[in-house]
Parts: sequence; C-alpha cells; structure tokens
Amino acid sequence: MSTSTWTSTGHWRTPTLGLVIRYTVLVATTLVILIPLVWTLLSSFKTEVELAARPPRPLPAQWNLDNYTGALESFAFGTYLMNSTIVTVAATILTLVINTMCAYGLAKYNFRGRNLLFLLVLATIMVPLQVILISVYQVAAQLGLVNSLLGMIIPPAATPTGVFLLRQYMLSIPDELIEASRIDGAGEFRTFLQVVVPLCGAPIAVVTIFSIMWRWNDFLWPLIIAQDQSKYTLPVALAQFNSQLVVPFNYILAMSVVSMLPVIAMFLFLQRYIVLGIANSGLK
Amino acid sequence: MLPADTLAAPTAAPTRSRRRWLSPIKIAPYLFVLPNMIVFGLFTIWPAINMFNISLYDSTNGRTFRWVGFQNYAELTSNQAFLRAFTSTLVFTVAFVVLTTILATGYAILLNQSFRGRGFFRAVLFLPSLLSAVVVGLLWGWILNRTNGLLNVGLDAVGLGQPGWLIDGRLAMVVIIFVGLWIHVGFYTLIMLSGLQGIDPSVYEAAAIDGASPTQQFLSMTWPLLRPTTLVVVILATISGFQSFDFIWTLTGGGPVGATTLMVQYIYERAFESPIRYGLASAGGVILFICVFGFTLLNYLNGRRQDAA
Repeated sequence: MSTSTWTSTGHWRTPTLGLVIRYTVLVATTLVILIPLVWTLLSSFKTEVELAARPPRPLPAQWNLDNYTGALESFAFGTYLMNSTIVTVAATILTLVINTMCAYGLAKYNFRGRNLLFLLVLATIMVPLQVILISVYQVAAQLGLVNSLLGMIIPPAATPTGVFLLRQYMLSIPDELIEASRIDGAGEFRTFLQVVVPLCGAPIAVVTIFSIMWRWNDFLWPLIIAQDQSKYTLPVALAQFNSQLVVPFNYILAMSVVSMLPVIAMFLFLQRYIVLGIANSGLK
Repeated sequence: MLPADTLAAPTAAPTRSRRRWLSPIKIAPYLFVLPNMIVFGLFTIWPAINMFNISLYDSTNGRTFRWVGFQNYAELTSNQAFLRAFTSTLVFTVAFVVLTTILATGYAILLNQSFRGRGFFRAVLFLPSLLSAVVVGLLWGWILNRTNGLLNVGLDAVGLGQPGWLIDGRLAMVVIIFVGLWIHVGFYTLIMLSGLQGIDPSVYEAAAIDGASPTQQFLSMTWPLLRPTTLVVVILATISGFQSFDFIWTLTGGGPVGATTLMVQYIYERAFESPIRYGLASAGGVILFICVFGFTLLNYLNGRRQDAA
C-alpha cells in the first residue's frame, strides 16, 4: 500500500518502507562482511602486546611494516609466497592451454565419442577432489609427484568448469571463419591459434581469473602434497603454523593480509569479467 | 567408416577419399582434446573408479593391501566417529543449502533494481568468496575466541557475557554454518541476479496494470520464473556443502570433540593421520560421493517435475 507514496514531490522524496528496509539490510550485511576484514588489516600492524590489550584499541600505536618484514625474515614466508606464486602461475598457464584446446575440439569438430567426452567432463563437476582425495593421491604418489610443486600444478589443471565455459563460448564462433582459414591453407592448429583463440578473449580472461583464484587459495591438495615445510604454499603454512602456535599471531595476521591482497586487487580491476563469468556459467 | 565417406563424397577421386579418413581434420579433434583428457583421466576419472576398488581392501600404510570385500562399509555403519561426521555433514549441508538459497534470492531481489550504491553492495557481498577459505576460518576463529575475541569483548562490554562460540558443540555448528554462508552467499547472489535480469520486465508491467501486489508478483511470477536459476544454485550449493573442509579446519579444527568434523575431514584424517586406514577412508569417500550424487539427482528430478507441472 505504501508503495504508492513513492512519488517525487519537489526536491524531497519520501523514502518508502521498501527503500528503508533495503538500505538497512545491505548496510548491516556490509558491516558483517567488512568489520572482520578491516579489523584484520588494522591488527596486522599491531604488536603482540597491543593485540592482547584489553579493551582493544582500533588503531595500531605505530604504522610500520614490522610484522610483515618479521614474518618474511624470521620465518620462511618468502619461500611459501614464492611457492604459491609459482604454483598459481604455472597451473593457470597449463589450465589455459589444455582447457582451450579441449574446448575447441569439443565445440568445433564432429567426432566419434564427442558427446560422451563432454558429458564425462560435465559429470565430474560432481566429483570434486575432496571426494576422491585418496585415489588421486595414490596416482600422484606412483608418478613421483608427492612433495613437489609439480604435484600441486598438474593434477587440478584439467578443470571441467574451464572446458565448459570455453566450449559454450566457442559454439558461437561462426564455422565460416574456421572454414575460410582452412581454405586459405592454414593447418588445423594454426587456425585454432590465429583465428579462434584471438576471438575468445572474454572467456579466456574469465578462466584465467577463476584459475588464479582457485590455485592461490587451494588448501587440501597442497596440504597433502607438501610434506616438507620447504614445499608449503601460503595457505598451508598459515593453517599449519596457526594450529601449532609456532608463529606469533601478529605475523600470522600480516601474512593473512598478504594472502588476501592479490585476489582483492584482481577483483577491483577485473570485476567485470568475474561477474560475466558467473552470469554465463553459473559455475564456480 | 571408409565406404560411408566415399559415398558421402561421390565426386572425390578414389585416391583422395582414401587419404581423407586420415586427414588432419579427422585426427585434429583427438589431438586437441588429448592433453586435457590425459590429465583428466589420470587425476579424475581413474581415481574415481579406483576409489571404489580401494574401498574393498584394508591398508594401514598405503602400500600393502588386503582384500576384505564390503567389510569397510560394514565397519563404517557402526563407527561412532564416522556416523557423527555423516550426521553433521547432512545437518550442515541441508542448513547451508536452504539458507544460501533463501539469502541469495533475497539479496538478488534487493540488488536487482538500480539504486545509489548498488555496485558497491554487490562487490562487498561477493568479496568473501574470493578469499582463501583457510584464512577466513583462521580470522573468524580469532574473532570468536571466547575470552580475547573481538565479538565477545564487545558483547561483554554491553553486558551480554562471553558465549563459548567454539567451545559449545551446538554453537560451533551454528558458527560453521554462518561462516560458510559468509563466504559463499555473494557468489550465489550473483547467479540469482543473472537469473532475475533474464526475466522480461514487461511481465511486471502487465502485472502492475492488473493490480498485483509486490507479494503476489513475487509468488506468482518471480519465483516460478527463477526456478531454473534456483535449481542451479541448489545443486551447486549442495556440492559445495558436502565438500566443505578448508575453513572448518582452521576455524574449529573439527571440534569441540568432533562436533564440527564433517565427512571430508574424517576421510582426510583416516587417510593421512595415524591410525591410517586407507580402505576405510575410501569407503567413506564412496559414501560421500553417493550423497553428492543422490542429492544432485533428487534436486534435478524435482526441478524437472515442477517444470513439467
């Protein structure tokens, strides 16, 4: 009933009940999401003594990077950061190469078993690594991939989501373009590389972003593969050291911020693609 | 294959049609899918099959295996720790899926129309799903610490006491559901939002002319038209709920005394922490898979039935 009062009378518009509810809910949600994150960021500059102070002060006494440099110098966080970076970059490149090729094969050729392969890829969205953990580990062990960065890079690379996203997009590329390239005498692989790939900028960006997010935040698989501390990735190191209480908590906080910054930065710059990717696939 | 090809191209010279079935265009698709399928086969398809095989053996070291048939499954049905993890997983997943669907629909409706600050709220809501779940769990564990955590310091200051968020088993279950929602709701909201934006605005105009109230509009139009998107959200949330592990590991560690140990953690611990029981853990994995598959199929068939109705 009150919705009919939603009229503009002069400069002042009466806020409707709906509008009040909308802003109340959204502002409250924003606080629930941002307070822990802002509190973490502020606390990452505090000393251990300040962290234990009661009542806690919101702002650190001194703004310096001691916790950040301390964690890198006193503990091997530099190594873990490097491992995380190597795994993320290498796995993303591998995923892009094999997913794009596979998607092209499934989208633009007619061959025996094509539909079966595509269904198989789709079905495994229901079989996450967490479920088949043990037998994947067995394969990795037999191939000598345990306790190596390669063991974190290769096994999760053939993402079903990536194949699906890229294939759906490639279906919309006109066959005439590919046919024309063939008539021009380009081989199959050159057609793929020089005609198809340049047209797939948007879905490739989406898969790149997703892959970076997945691999940078990956935990269970690297936890199993990394048996020496020297092979830890950042999330593995944070989880292990936090539970064993070996690293001061102010260092843990600083490194938590480091683990969150790259993905937040990526989101700020590439938000458009992320929203696009989710809207188009409904898949994570 | 060869005769069919020759028939299909009767004008081609015989020599050419002979070469055609080995032509690049015939081999190319296999070469394109091959690298992905090798990785996929080695690390997804084969392990999925082999897990069932391993579940029929007993092994305490992962090297020597003794055939025991279905004994692992029989043992699991009377194993208190497993049964508890199984029940907790169902409780967690059902709560997570139901609340995710409701909240994502609600937020999507709030964010559907354009208003000041919409882009900001949408970005904030999505932000947690980008972050490392391990780190999120760790931070919430710190904030919910009974004596030193930010929340209880605040509650204590206003005289509300210091609830043992992570010490009381029931509260801890509520906490992991809450943190699960905190992480994931924004992602599902975006899916719902894309579904909402696919609805033709003219149906609302027509309904408004006919005098339908907002509640009537929601129940008789938005909700039915959103059903396919809701189905996607329910299925994805179910899969995500069943595989929850990372944030719980750093938030509660599965405690207190196993109250928040879900199936993935049970499987992980029986496979990689002493006492190692490979076969038992694999049997747990098979049961988890059956749960994921069963629920997904149920949702899918239910969605299809409603669409047909």
